Amino acid sequence: MSKSPDATLVQAPGVTLTIDGRTVVGRKGRTILEAALENGIKIPYLCYHPRISRTGACRICLVKVNDTMFKTACTEPVAENMKVVSEDAELAAIRKDILEMLLSEGDHNCLYCDANGACELQDLVKRYDAQMPTGEFPRRKREIDEASSKGLKRNEDRCVLCGRCVKACGEIQISNVWQFTGRGSKTHLTSGLFEKIGDSPCVNCGTCSQLCPTGAIMPQLPLGNGFNWELQKESSICIYCGVGCKIDFHKNKEGMLVKATGNGDGPNEGHLCVKGRFGFDFMQKPTRLISPLIKENGEFREAAWEEALDFVAGKLKKIKADSGPDSVGALASAKCSNEDNYLMQKFVRAVVGTNNIDHCARL
Amino acid sequence: MTITRDTIRKVVLERGKAMEHLMLILRDLETLSGNNQLTTKTLEEVAEEMNLPTSAVAGFVGFYTMFSYKPRARYVIRVCKSGPCNVMGACTIFDAIEKHLGIKPGEATTDGVFFLEKCECLGICSVAPAMMINYDLHGNLTEKKVVDLIERYRKQKPAVAEASGPEVEGRECIVKADGQTKRLTGAIGAIDPLKIDSYLGLKGYEALKKTLKEFTPEQVVQIVKDSGLRGRGGAGFPAGLKWSFMPKGDMPKYTVCNADEGEPGTYKDRILMEENPHQLIEGMTIAGYAMGSQTGYIYVRGEFRRAIDRLQLAIEQARSKGFLGSNILGSAFNFDIFIKEGGGAYVCGEESSLINSMEGKRGYPRFRPPFPAGSGFQKRPTTVNNVETYASAPMIILNGADWYKSVGTPKCTGTKLYCLSGKMNRTGLVELPMGTTLRELIEVYGGGMKDGGKFKFAQVGGTAGGILGPDLLDLPLDIDQTIQAGVTLGSGVVLACDESVCAVDFLLNVLAFFEHESCGQCAPCRIGTSQLHRLSRRFAERRADEGDIDRMIGKTMVMKKASLCALGQSPVMPVTTILKNFRREFERHCDSGHKCPACDKTLRRFYGTA
Repeated sequence: MSKSPDATLVQAPGVTLTIDGRTVVGRKGRTILEAALENGIKIPYLCYHPRISRTGACRICLVKVNDTMFKTACTEPVAENMKVVSEDAELAAIRKDILEMLLSEGDHNCLYCDANGACELQDLVKRYDAQMPTGEFPRRKREIDEASSKGLKRNEDRCVLCGRCVKACGEIQISNVWQFTGRGSKTHLTSGLFEKIGDSPCVNCGTCSQLCPTGAIMPQLPLGNGFNWELQKESSICIYCGVGCKIDFHKNKEGMLVKATGNGDGPNEGHLCVKGRFGFDFMQKPTRLISPLIKENGEFREAAWEEALDFVAGKLKKIKADSGPDSVGALASAKCSNEDNYLMQKFVRAVVGTNNIDHCARL
Repeated sequence: MTITRDTIRKVVLERGKAMEHLMLILRDLETLSGNNQLTTKTLEEVAEEMNLPTSAVAGFVGFYTMFSYKPRARYVIRVCKSGPCNVMGACTIFDAIEKHLGIKPGEATTDGVFFLEKCECLGICSVAPAMMINYDLHGNLTEKKVVDLIERYRKQKPAVAEASGPEVEGRECIVKADGQTKRLTGAIGAIDPLKIDSYLGLKGYEALKKTLKEFTPEQVVQIVKDSGLRGRGGAGFPAGLKWSFMPKGDMPKYTVCNADEGEPGTYKDRILMEENPHQLIEGMTIAGYAMGSQTGYIYVRGEFRRAIDRLQLAIEQARSKGFLGSNILGSAFNFDIFIKEGGGAYVCGEESSLINSMEGKRGYPRFRPPFPAGSGFQKRPTTVNNVETYASAPMIILNGADWYKSVGTPKCTGTKLYCLSGKMNRTGLVELPMGTTLRELIEVYGGGMKDGGKFKFAQVGGTAGGILGPDLLDLPLDIDQTIQAGVTLGSGVVLACDESVCAVDFLLNVLAFFEHESCGQCAPCRIGTSQLHRLSRRFAERRADEGDIDRMIGKTMVMKKASLCALGQSPVMPVTTILKNFRREFERHCDSGHKCPACDKTLRRFYGTA
């Protein structure tokens, strides 16, 4: 997801600093990490995400400032003539140590994980050659809840407690379902009041799953499954409402939908609601209707289009004759084209003779 | 008693609907519950009444150890297991309770009367070992005393706070020895802390009058700068300089007093608040004037009921006499003070955690910048100082900066309240010039080592402080000279240990403390404290290998460099200094045949092994 353009920051004056000996220009009020990323310098991070407020908790982005101080690049504002070292042997060793700590705290086995191949923790483990925990520090078992919710799966053994989900829910969706509870090494996530996700006030927007850097919170699979590196991505616009969110659809080798994620370039800036994220499986579902059904004696039977349309037209005429045109109303669909919708209102106004016409996108 | 919706509505109305009142609302409801439990139903209804997400309440309750959503009992017995109490025999107290009531930590008696918890420092370390029953503190415990107390509670509940044991009352915790430089503690004993007239009779509020009449705010800051007063919470930052960071202008600014005295071994602030509350109130009002602030908060740890009650009374008295409120003493200056309470979290002594806690949030420290002077409580400019620091302000104003500087060392002026605990013949608070040596503290004011025991080491500065061996007995204990020697003065704790104390057992206790008190926000501290605790346990269990010594040091170094706040940066000091002094002892503990009764006792009591 891309950063939302903030007018005041875009116009903010430039601040000149050096990162790894390279002179770069950051913007006043922005952080070292943002200045580095804008200039193609890849400082690693886990808890940072452009869509949420600064956290500074994972400490992976630790850099050296002015030779002496260790600062987290994600929280430290750029300053004039600041000298930053983004990586040296000491910093790499610290990052490796922290990663190994995180690995020993959880149960990170890529073999069974939906995030395999699309996991920020996995990328960093590779980059810093972090080693598998020896098991000498027993880990605390945390909650696994894969069935209570139709939208989300939660496996906290894969959690690094970065807090992105907490902030995604609190700052983007404003549902505040996630929060940390417990303290110290017993810190863990809770949804609502120590509830399972399915019992909590969660609205299944799935933003937490999109921001989760590991496989701790994952969307339920809609149709197909597949390795992340085999998935093909296609961007489209959501058909449900007037916002016009941009969505990336990921399909597997068989062409089946595996997941939908918000695309940062749209007006949604990467966010999706429950319909946008999960409401597309109907396209490829084997139970999808392909011919009209007419109910007779309590049973549906397949019918031809001709017969079904005649049936509906007859009923509409009868209602109009018996009760007047205003007893008929129509709700048009966002899944149809503009032309279809134009014809629908024309039909309702001119043929039926009422203004009772509305559209599902008018949320 | 079950908490009804009406009760919740009433409490929320009384305390206020804003999130910042969550701590007091939950404390009221927990007390009303009769069994020290906040059920999930209660929490859900509190969330609804306060218009908060349920998760915020869940996160809050889970953070503060004094709250529980699981069933407890009519009386919660919290037995301290921190440094001083551990050295003085906390294990035997747990043994006595287990023998008498048949319960282990985390268990309730079948009749639902008593619930046992182990807890960290209760702030009455001079009378260790100690425990708290609901909100009453009791010290100088012996097996017999514990049994007597429990039976007393079983029969009838004594009144809250003032019914704490007489041995824990502030004035009783001061060492009665000549030769002290009594400035902050000078009036203690002579003053009735419940009566403002008593304070007024001893030049009380004269400093405030002088301030408002003679000085501009800038002049007050300059006087405090000139006095050389440095923060007494542990970091030693110059107080006047800190006050000068507050932005000028008409916005709301907050003067916050850090009275979350949680560093094991420290109890000086409790005594100042209990015995001379007006001195703190006057000091904060002067500071408020100097910084152009109109509101002060005192964040007192929840365990200090007596201090909270006495401060509340003193604040009301000061308001009625016109020392707080609008147009103080006829001037244009308005200032008022309110009390906030803690819920059992050491990390809330860190100023940004304290601010989060004041806002009704989990006590997570904040990254800096922004610093509190720019964005603190409710994102407004805030200055946080320790009780001892604010309480020093009136005498500096009255007597001048030069007088204040006349004792102490050149860069660390004034007196220091040293908190003596551990294996000494006499323990308690002493007030001496900055830079008093460890030897003088132990031999003169502590009356020597207990029962003629041999000095082995002292931990100075609290659990986060360093270990001083016999070689540092003559080190002047001020802020800078301790740092040069690789240790710290911290809050002024001196925990003396004799040869009966095992260094391994001692470190295990220190590291268990850090794991328990880490907030869990940043990865190096959350996981590092847990791993350090594990590693030190391997030595206590005598199954460590010698490489584990360096691994411990290595972990503390990463934590020092990478942790977000001072808590995660702290273990390096006790770990490296104890290993520097007692490496041989740790090496001996690598031998599975090595005998150590102290470690055995701890393992059996707290880990259920050996």
